[in-house]
Amino acid sequence: MKITFPHLGNTYLASKALFDGLGIDSVIPPPSNKKALEIGSLYSPEEICLPFKIMIGNYIQSIEKGANTVIITGSCGPCRFGEYCEIQINILKKLGYYLDFIVIDAPTKNGIGKKEFLNRINKISSASNKKNSEKIKALKYSYKVITLIDKIEAKAHYLAGYESNKGECKTLLNKCKLDSANSTSPQEMINILKYYKNKLDKIPIDKGKNPLKIAIIGEIYTILEPFANLYIEDKLMDYGISSSRHLTPSWWVKDAALKPLKLNSLDLRIASRKYLPFYIGGHGRECIGEVMLAKKHGFDGAIQIFPMGCMPEIVTKSILPSISKNEDFPVMSLIVDEMTGEAGYITRIEAFLDMLERRKNNNVLYGCRRRFS
Amino acid sequence: MIIGIPKGLLYYKYYPFFESFFKELDCKLIISNDTNKKILNLGIKYCVDEACLPIKVFHGHVAEIKDNCDFIFVPRIMSIHEGEYICPKFCGLPEMIFNDIPNMPNILSAPIYATNKNNLYKWAIKTSSVITNNRFKIKKAFLTALNKQKNFSCGIKNNSYTLRIALVGHPYNVYDSFVNMNLVKKLNSLGVGIITEEFVPSKCIDKEIEILFKKPFWSFARQSYGSSVYLAHAKTIDGIIYLSSFACGIDSIVVELIKEHIYDTPMLVLKIDEQTGEAGFNTRIEAFVDMLERRTQHENNLSSFGKYLLSKQSTI
Repeated sequence: MKITFPHLGNTYLASKALFDGLGIDSVIPPPSNKKALEIGSLYSPEEICLPFKIMIGNYIQSIEKGANTVIITGSCGPCRFGEYCEIQINILKKLGYYLDFIVIDAPTKNGIGKKEFLNRINKISSASNKKNSEKIKALKYSYKVITLIDKIEAKAHYLAGYESNKGECKTLLNKCKLDSANSTSPQEMINILKYYKNKLDKIPIDKGKNPLKIAIIGEIYTILEPFANLYIEDKLMDYGISSSRHLTPSWWVKDAALKPLKLNSLDLRIASRKYLPFYIGGHGRECIGEVMLAKKHGFDGAIQIFPMGCMPEIVTKSILPSISKNEDFPVMSLIVDEMTGEAGYITRIEAFLDMLERRKNNNVLYGCRRRFS
Repeated sequence: MIIGIPKGLLYYKYYPFFESFFKELDCKLIISNDTNKKILNLGIKYCVDEACLPIKVFHGHVAEIKDNCDFIFVPRIMSIHEGEYICPKFCGLPEMIFNDIPNMPNILSAPIYATNKNNLYKWAIKTSSVITNNRFKIKKAFLTALNKQKNFSCGIKNNSYTLRIALVGHPYNVYDSFVNMNLVKKLNSLGVGIITEEFVPSKCIDKEIEILFKKPFWSFARQSYGSSVYLAHAKTIDGIIYLSSFACGIDSIVVELIKEHIYDTPMLVLKIDEQTGEAGFNTRIEAFVDMLERRTQHENNLSSFGKYLLSKQSTI
């Protein structure tokens, strides 16, 4: 069994740590790239959303490297993501790839049920010849890896606005990812991550700076996967802007684990109550909560990113202008699909940042600030 | 008290219930007109660009009647079967309406979980709290409305035509004759009879669902997929026309699923959006019907070229 999985931001590091720990052969697909997207758009249904297309590209590129089993998570929410597995199985079968698909679905009553869930988990765990204690250890390590890399990334993105030597945070973050991807054991990866975490703390910063602070919100795949959002966070780091993103893989794990107890993301639920008091699927409610939190924490603006046709985010997109007006908080929506041109995308981001900068320095002659003060 | 009911989305399926419920509570009802050009334009004006056509049309219906009523009833239908949803946009519909359209009157937007009688009654109590406090009256209105809905059935089934196709799609596309440009009449005048998903018993649908790897969690997907695949397998139809609105997330999945399981049954996917070009629409329907006629009358079923007769199995 040679396992592969679709990319989602930094989760490949955690998956690598997990499968290394379990002693299962795994193939990390090449980082999402133009070729993967081309393959994906060729074979996918026309109207499906962008994550589906990139995922198909990921699978096929790793099948070429010898993978024969795909692991993905499922969901039973009203968003399209839950139906991905069925269509993807059909597409890959039609292309002549005979693969095993292991779909990790929630073990709920209406879903696959507890028995089937354990069955599927067992399929993975039986491929490993390690002892049970070692398997649990591997799981623990992989959770540690994902929390560490999320922390490092969040810190690097935030410090990018304050660094004394321009570009230091970005170089360090890239080096950190590269080194940990090249590690040979989970323990080694954690050591590398810890080393870089300490190094990041020692980066010389200029506390006198007052950079723009921007929250990245929107659909979880497009904001986590840098290729899907055309590397927006790297761009913001280059501009010397502090950015922050609430949704991370480690947040997702925590959220999913606490959901049965109804204790998940209380802060977002309270913050979103005024504008969207219901879960509408995907991460629509979270998106509204993040805007309200960003406003509360003194951010200058927010950028919403979602793939074309994303159903929950269309609802939030129609709510955001009201929030923007009522709370005096600028929000820009960017929609990405396989046809997104980078030049137009950059222009919009730059224009938005310019606008925020002028607002911040209070040299706006007209517009929101005066009207609402 | 005047309550406005927009004639959009699932109104076509559940209007007996909603209308008689509010009538029994002694409310005056204002129901918007059938969809027309003006309503469509209003909807396009107010709604976000990315939304699908039915949502835009619904915005138009609300905008048309909003100034004449005290409350607008915007149904937030979360689920009509246990463990199934409608669509994320239905769950957030009141928020969309409230934030998109300026100067809205109050909205009745209590969530509807119509999975059983008790859950639906909760909705009735919540919604009618602004109208009356008389529990007895609410209960009576609720039961009358439920009865009316039970006696109501929609659906189209023509028997007197030689050709017969399944017209599949969301109810608000199939029954809104402005949005689908009189598709039913057009097909009838071309000599094609229609059967809709309402005439497939739910037992048969359940049977078709079982072969899927994952049980669909949308009620629309269950209905459309189950009924069209059942009809195709039973060979009672000559073809399928799937009426889909552009950028519909559910249809992008369901169409693929249907195509996968109907073998050689001809299928036409008609996309509708606010750019109503009727000529191209007609051409596609006529071509499809021509093809069906030739298939049944002039050509035998053996493929003249290629290895397999059916896409899934070899028969020769």
